[in-house]
Amino acid sequence: MKINLTINGVDSTFEADPDMPLLWLIRDEAKLKGTKFGCGMALCGACSAHVDGELVRTCSYSAQMAHGKKITTIEGLSGGANRLHPIQQAWLDVGVPQCGYCQSGFMMAAAHLLEENSNPTEDDLKNSITNICRCGTHPRILKAILLAAKLQSNGTSK
Amino acid sequence: MEQVNSKPQKGFSRRKFLARSGATIAGSIALLYFGRSKIRTGLSQLAADAKFDAGIDDFDPTVWFEVNQDNTITLRSPKIEMGQGVFTGFAILAAEELDVDVTKIKVVHASTSMGPQSTAGTGMSNSTSSLYTAIREVAATLRETLKLAASKSWGIRVTSIQTGDGVATSGSRSMRYAEIAKQTKIWEIAETPALRQAYSFRMIGKEHKRIDLEEKISGKPIYGIDTDISGMLYGAVLYCPYFGGELKTADTTLAGKSTDVIKIIQDKNWIGVVAKTRFAAEKAMTSLKVSWNFEPGYTTKDAIDAITVGNGVAVVMQDEGNATDELSRNVLTSEYRTPIGFHASMEPSIVVADVSGTSLKLYTSTQNVAFMRQSIADQTDFKEENIQIIPAFLGGGFGRRGYKHNAVEAIKLSESVGKPVHLLYTRQQEFQNGYVRPNTHHILSGKVDTKGKILAIQHEFATGSMAFLALPMAKPIIGADFLVAGHGARIAYSVPNKRTKIWNSDLPFQTGLWRGVGMFANTFAIECFIDELAVEAKADPLQFRIDHCGTTELLQRRKKLLLKLGEKAGWKAPKADTIGRGIAVCEDRGTISAAIVEVQIVDKRIKVLRVAQAIDAGLIVNPNGVRQQMEGATMMAISASLYEEATIENSQFEQTNFHNYQVAMLKDTPHIETILQESTDMPSGVGEPPLSSVAPAIANALYNLTSFRLRTLPLQAALDNYYQHSE
Ligand code: FES
Ligand code: FES
Repeated sequence: MKINLTINGVDSTFEADPDMPLLWLIRDEAKLKGTKFGCGMALCGACSAHVDGELVRTCSYSAQMAHGKKITTIEGLSGGANRLHPIQQAWLDVGVPQCGYCQSGFMMAAAHLLEENSNPTEDDLKNSITNICRCGTHPRILKAILLAAKLQSNGTSK
Repeated sequence: MEQVNSKPQKGFSRRKFLARSGATIAGSIALLYFGRSKIRTGLSQLAADAKFDAGIDDFDPTVWFEVNQDNTITLRSPKIEMGQGVFTGFAILAAEELDVDVTKIKVVHASTSMGPQSTAGTGMSNSTSSLYTAIREVAATLRETLKLAASKSWGIRVTSIQTGDGVATSGSRSMRYAEIAKQTKIWEIAETPALRQAYSFRMIGKEHKRIDLEEKISGKPIYGIDTDISGMLYGAVLYCPYFGGELKTADTTLAGKSTDVIKIIQDKNWIGVVAKTRFAAEKAMTSLKVSWNFEPGYTTKDAIDAITVGNGVAVVMQDEGNATDELSRNVLTSEYRTPIGFHASMEPSIVVADVSGTSLKLYTSTQNVAFMRQSIADQTDFKEENIQIIPAFLGGGFGRRGYKHNAVEAIKLSESVGKPVHLLYTRQQEFQNGYVRPNTHHILSGKVDTKGKILAIQHEFATGSMAFLALPMAKPIIGADFLVAGHGARIAYSVPNKRTKIWNSDLPFQTGLWRGVGMFANTFAIECFIDELAVEAKADPLQFRIDHCGTTELLQRRKKLLLKLGEKAGWKAPKADTIGRGIAVCEDRGTISAAIVEVQIVDKRIKVLRVAQAIDAGLIVNPNGVRQQMEGATMMAISASLYEEATIENSQFEQTNFHNYQVAMLKDTPHIETILQESTDMPSGVGEPPLSSVAPAIANALYNLTSFRLRTLPLQAALDNYYQHSE
């Protein structure tokens, strides 16, 4: 079927199997590779993106469900070239990534969390973000999200 | 930089470098071909002390470096960036000798057609240490080569030229490196100069951010899975989930119905599909109707029985004094076990194969480019020189990307359709069709004398092999895998009578490298048992360890590190009764690593509250990078110690995805402190050692809290089991 999506502000139309996971549409058709595959069963969060402002694990979300919706991926998180979302700025300042593979998913989850809770505690983060990182960047992720919350409230990010 | 006509001159790094790399394992094996038990024991000692060679023999700076027009310098890395920060480490080393800022060095992977080749692969935590001198020498040679070219252009003596910030100057004249490179057609390679002395380091040892952060926070397509080339199709392969199984019958009718499916091919033990989209390929794969020939009924219990001290090929790895006699009676004996573990790298195995005629291109995430190329040449009709491998960033390595890639299948699929094919393992295949960390069994016995000193200690352990998957030819020679699975099994403490013996059995599934190799299991068993002996001796566990640090350089460094850790982490500080505190230490090829852990049990769940990690890794190139590795290793260790366990039912691994293979998450993050101690003037590995001290430190902390000892990993399951039996 024809799938209409707005991805990172750009309207696009794809011819795709309605059951195809949104992840493959984003990666293989829209050619945005920042959203990753890790498990295919909504367990690891590597494929996280925002769909109409909701946090979605795109490996387990079909193309037809996404039809007509606005998608934001890591490539569009900052809302423009040469800009950084406070989460990305904090990620840079803290130096979070190791292999980096899980990081887009974590950043999308963290950015969404800050929208719902602009002043989270460390326990809030531990209780609500269930993505997987195998390199063990967890301590820096916690630090970076708390920093991003500060950056955001100070309006100091670029 | 353009093509070079003159070759490196005599005196250039190569010979010097090779002489420095010390005994290599391959050399030792060749030397002692007739393996008898004594010789095997000796060889095992030799291997334990050996420093690993980087496996590189081309030190022409123009192969390694390229001076770009924007005055940045590209370094082609023979080692793979898998998250360990090796690109950043290399950039720091190169910048130090090239007189440029670290941010001016762009590091890329060497491919098989461009840049220096490493036959040794990436692993053993040795990337920075094995190339510490080499990269600096090559960089310094490039700097002198640039100066030489400038001196010719200016018609002055090279000694009157200085370099700094990417510019060569002499009096009022100056030229950027980029300009020198642009105007130089034929390079004369300079002699390798003396390297900068440690006291004058400007880059090495300072805090540096990773150089790959920008790509990694903005979702840039840098991983193998991101490969997307024109005309590319998608593959999916159905493998046998049962150990050693083969395809019996296959019905592909349903799978072939989709118009998006282009080809279905059948091999001895797999069926492959090529389709226009990954979704179509995977859908077709799941609609294949197949049956398998396999030996049914194998279970976890069978693997545990096979891996039990007394079974398989035995080699005595250490025999000092007379442990056997001293331990004939009144001894403390304990048994430990560790389970089978998966690597669970977040990026599954991925290969894009592009076959055209007799030549082949592979885009992939691999830890070992040269080995992969060679093994593909062995398994297919492609000649090695016609195989080009383009390595990408790895979404995690941990030992999984050393070998057993899905390349051969991808090649056959690409051949069958005459187009490039992107082939990715599913998570289930990554677990069930990869290779695993073998389970282990340890029996430790020891005796403490009246003065509270260990009189004798013996460690007998059983394991599957880690080395033989990649080095099957080593098996008949060395008998048991004391090289890799036996790593860290010897008793390092100063004890008059000590003995270590490995029992190596075959398993029906493939076992191989895993971060820290044998260190993980062996350190768990030994360091828990040392705690048990400390209890016997009524000694403080930290002091007890210090009291058994003898006079060797390594043991003195161990003592110093333990003292420092104890002091900084407040070993003696008062704590609540609800908190347990434990310690453990290990040593890995010149690196000492120790951890103090604090735990709690809340609602029968183990909670690691705090981990203080201390490391002595010789010279530290980038403290930030070392700390990052220590944090990462701590988290992976918590994961493997508390939760991870692969189990077997009816000849297949039961775990198919992360819902039944639990790993550590944000909620498991303790407060982590990192303590660095500098010692020697050479760096040693940091990626693996800090992983091994954590499991025993947690177990020892749990004992401190509860007064009962858990001797089986994963600890949460062991605790659940304990509660079940005590209720
Ligand atoms: S790939 Fe979607 S949650 Fe893991
Ligand atoms: S940074 Fe490697 S998996 Fe998270």
